[in-house]
Amino acid sequence: MHSVEIKNLDLAFGATKVLQDLNLTIARGEFLVLLGSSGCGKSTLLNCIAGLLEVSEGQIFINGDNVTWAEPSERGIGMVFQSYALYPQMTVEGNLSFGLRNSGMAKSEIASRVARAAEILQIEPLLKRKPAALSGGQRQRVAIGRALVRDVDVFLFDEPLSNLDAKLRADLRVEIKRLHQQLENTMIYVTHDQIEAMTLADRIAIMKGGQIMQLGTPDEIYSQPRNLYVADFIGSPSMNFIPGTMSGGTASIHGISIPMGSTVRDGAVTVGIRPEHIATGDLAPIAPVQAEATVELVEPMGADTLILTSIGGTRAHVRMDGLAKVVPGDVIPIGLDPARVSLFDPKTEIRL
Amino acid sequence: MQSIAERAVLWSIMLSGLAFVLVRVGLENDLLELAPLALLALAALVALAMIAQMRRLNIFNNRLRGHALGWIIAAGVAYLLSLANEKTVQAAMPAIKSYRKLWKTLDGFADFLVPMFLLFAVVLLIVGTRDTKLDRPGRIERALVSKLPAKIAAIPMAFTAIGVFVIATLWTVYHSFTRSKLLPKSDFEGVFQYERLWSTDRWWISLENLAIYGACSMVFSLVIGFTLATLLDQKIRGEAVFRTILLYPFALSFIVTGLVWQWILTPEFGVQNIVRSLGFENFVFDPLYNSDIVIYGVLIAGLWQGTGFIMVLMLAGLRGIDQDIWKASRVDGIPTWKTYIYIIIPMMRPVFITTLVIIASGIVKVYDLVVAQTSGGPGLSSEVPAKYVYDYMFGGQNLGQGFAASTVMLALVLIPLIPFAYLEFGNRKNG
Amino acid sequence: MADVAFSGPHGPKPRRILNPRNIMLYGTLIVVTMYYLVPLYVMVVTSLKGMPEIRMGNIFSPPLEVTFEPWVKAWSEACTGLNCDGLSRGFWNSVTITIPSVLVSIAIASINGYALANWRFKGANVFFTILIFGAFIPYQVMIYPIVIMLREMGLYTKLSGLVIVHSIFGMPILTLLFRNYFTSLPEELFKAARVDGAGFWGIYFRIMLPMSLPIFVVAIILQVTGIWNDFLFGVIYTKPDLYPMTVQLNNIVNSVQGVKEYNVNMAATLLTGLVPLFIYFVSGKLFVRGVAAGAVKG
Repeated sequence: MHSVEIKNLDLAFGATKVLQDLNLTIARGEFLVLLGSSGCGKSTLLNCIAGLLEVSEGQIFINGDNVTWAEPSERGIGMVFQSYALYPQMTVEGNLSFGLRNSGMAKSEIASRVARAAEILQIEPLLKRKPAALSGGQRQRVAIGRALVRDVDVFLFDEPLSNLDAKLRADLRVEIKRLHQQLENTMIYVTHDQIEAMTLADRIAIMKGGQIMQLGTPDEIYSQPRNLYVADFIGSPSMNFIPGTMSGGTASIHGISIPMGSTVRDGAVTVGIRPEHIATGDLAPIAPVQAEATVELVEPMGADTLILTSIGGTRAHVRMDGLAKVVPGDVIPIGLDPARVSLFDPKTEIRL
Repeated sequence: MQSIAERAVLWSIMLSGLAFVLVRVGLENDLLELAPLALLALAALVALAMIAQMRRLNIFNNRLRGHALGWIIAAGVAYLLSLANEKTVQAAMPAIKSYRKLWKTLDGFADFLVPMFLLFAVVLLIVGTRDTKLDRPGRIERALVSKLPAKIAAIPMAFTAIGVFVIATLWTVYHSFTRSKLLPKSDFEGVFQYERLWSTDRWWISLENLAIYGACSMVFSLVIGFTLATLLDQKIRGEAVFRTILLYPFALSFIVTGLVWQWILTPEFGVQNIVRSLGFENFVFDPLYNSDIVIYGVLIAGLWQGTGFIMVLMLAGLRGIDQDIWKASRVDGIPTWKTYIYIIIPMMRPVFITTLVIIASGIVKVYDLVVAQTSGGPGLSSEVPAKYVYDYMFGGQNLGQGFAASTVMLALVLIPLIPFAYLEFGNRKNG
Repeated sequence: MADVAFSGPHGPKPRRILNPRNIMLYGTLIVVTMYYLVPLYVMVVTSLKGMPEIRMGNIFSPPLEVTFEPWVKAWSEACTGLNCDGLSRGFWNSVTITIPSVLVSIAIASINGYALANWRFKGANVFFTILIFGAFIPYQVMIYPIVIMLREMGLYTKLSGLVIVHSIFGMPILTLLFRNYFTSLPEELFKAARVDGAGFWGIYFRIMLPMSLPIFVVAIILQVTGIWNDFLFGVIYTKPDLYPMTVQLNNIVNSVQGVKEYNVNMAATLLTGLVPLFIYFVSGKLFVRGVAAGAVKG
């Protein structure tokens, strides 16, 4: 049985279609990340799953039950918000227990659940404080705790780390991953941060314009992007796209021939190569394909050095070792591996 | 040492200005009349002492020369202003003559400003000479030179704040302790006016009415305003139409409001007549003719005029609440009414306090509405303090009573306002 | 996707439009709205009836015979004391009072707000705090000293005196309005202009003014309705032939002599209310923004 299943979901506000014919199944215990730039419909989809937005068409199943018409509190979900949404005049304990008290649960049961959540999240010393007296990271833990005490199978996170500074964000990211390993429940996590997505997800759904562009493991998304949008969105700096032609299983760009195998049709193609997949230095001569590039700009970043090069007239980023000594104007040897090169149709933008 | 001298100059100039203004507005006192000149003289002496301390006086080569020149020009302008009061000048320019009294008033200020501006110029030259090698601007330089256009532009504000709000208030409070009748007198007579005030029935009725009107209008405005705001906050159709209709009375004046409700509540034609014509022959509803309930008749009109505005403030407060709070409470399964009571209302505490202060400050001022709707009648039964003040000041030729009554009104406002202001500022420091 | 066959609930949850919640909600709102509309309706209806019809019946019934005579009479014939030239005099007085008062008070307050928001000189906040505090002082405390001040300057009972009074009492709220607005503009803009060598007035006229049209509109709405509706200052600081419309209206309706002509009174009341009502209905959201901004202090 699937944990969450979405069938042919449509959502429209008046004439604007926000989600279109969306299908998605999420397995029990899976960590799914909805990733996309702002306005792509990822938060909207999450709100539909939570029941905070009414869908225009389609169905939503949670744990095998059709919950399309169910109230948010009846769906067996817990939700964590970007702005924490803690009730400011209640203590941490009050925040954790308010929903439970309201549903008429026995006091002893409430107490044990609050205690367990506080222990898991290590917020026991904070229970008597009010949200205003907490730091951002502590507030977000409390917000997670509020979802935790509900003892539900599905957790929904709506950009939970976006309001935190970089250091805290990294700490809490680890915390959430640990929590998932410990609780083993389904988590659906919305973010626009690709690092969060790559590190946390079992699977990532990349969204654009209310549709899922690609659904796959982080590795699939990274190595085999299904279209130009996904290829461009994932990776920093993003993939280099070089126009080329294909004939008889060999792609050629500016006189460099890359044998790709025979399955690809002849004609114009866009060749995509990630900056970190262009071999330099000692590795260049042992790569299957050799070429040369002219250095135009050098950006040392410590561990790596990023250089902007010209490969036969097309600008391309190359990631080199941080110790590499290059200056603008140098001509350096580079190497390519056909297995790590992606080919796209220039018109449909789909992977070939 | 230098710093102390500069401070002495600035303070004595400022104090002399204040003393001068106080004398001009009528607080006649021998000590006060001497003070401006004495303080200016002190400033001049300190300036001379500063000159004496210096080795050489290099007036014509220093960085503050331009500003000193500016102050000399300002002194010249002030002198020209005082010239407008001269008879020969007025004879030459008839356009000036029609504002004779204005020039006469300004003349006194100009006579004071000319030496003050000249003193500024001298002090700047001295300081500039002394500090030619220093890079750090001194006190005088910061006070008289930096951001000068902004300071000049703020003169109307300073005049309103000090000249009107502070001095006029103090003046009234002081004169409430005199036996002013047709004209204000400045001989201090103790609490005579207050004894009379508190033994007047009309004043007690006014206060009682204010208390009833105030308490009811606070409670009802808040309750009705908040209820309407929550109704409009339910994502309803035609919200703009409802809001427009609920708020339009607020655009009307109290005079219009009072007159309309006077008409609607007229027993012979209004509500009473209509209910009677429906068959209830003995129905009585004549608030404006019944001295026991007349203030509630005024209250109905006041609420009609003002609740829309309170509703708008509350609605703005509701809209200012993080939408995620609502989502969280829905996920927690908390019913809407419980969310309002336990979460939203406590979160809106600042809005409630602000609104309460606004309502309260409006209540004390209530005057036009009563004048238009009932003229204080029947008898004295709908009198309010503001009307008492006006009637004694401009009708009864008993200024002292008016001053005393208005001073009590001031106290009524300050008693709740000061703790509120204290809380506001205290919170700001913590936040 | 109509071609997909769903089993079980799908799409939006079906709801009856006439569910109890909606009936309660809209029912309450409609009743309340009626209450708010009744006075306006009564004003209009009464002003269109003849006196015989008013004496016969019901103030809520629509006029059997529509007559515009009360309007004509209210505008040009109604008497206040010895003058019998109607409300038109008060109307034009109010116009001549309102226009200069609005212009002067807004000009002063916008410069104040700008100086406070961007130039933050020492002592400015003391003045500002006093100013805001002053907004709460009952006018009654300050009216008599201002009478003396204006009399000394020979401006008492003159138009210019009333303009000064309106500028003084409008200053706290307007200054606050402008200060908050200018504070909300990006400070870099002001810094950039200073680096470019613009001075106090240069920045005000060339950078701030062009950017603050909306707040000027809000301030104008606030001031026009406020000054038009003023009664107290009009009655204290002017003389009978300069009385604004509100004062004249009150004198017409509440005069003791003669027979009460309710239809003329209501026509006069409506005429006085028309200007602010017109502004309110035309400006819509800006009015709301104005009153809300003016009220939420600090």
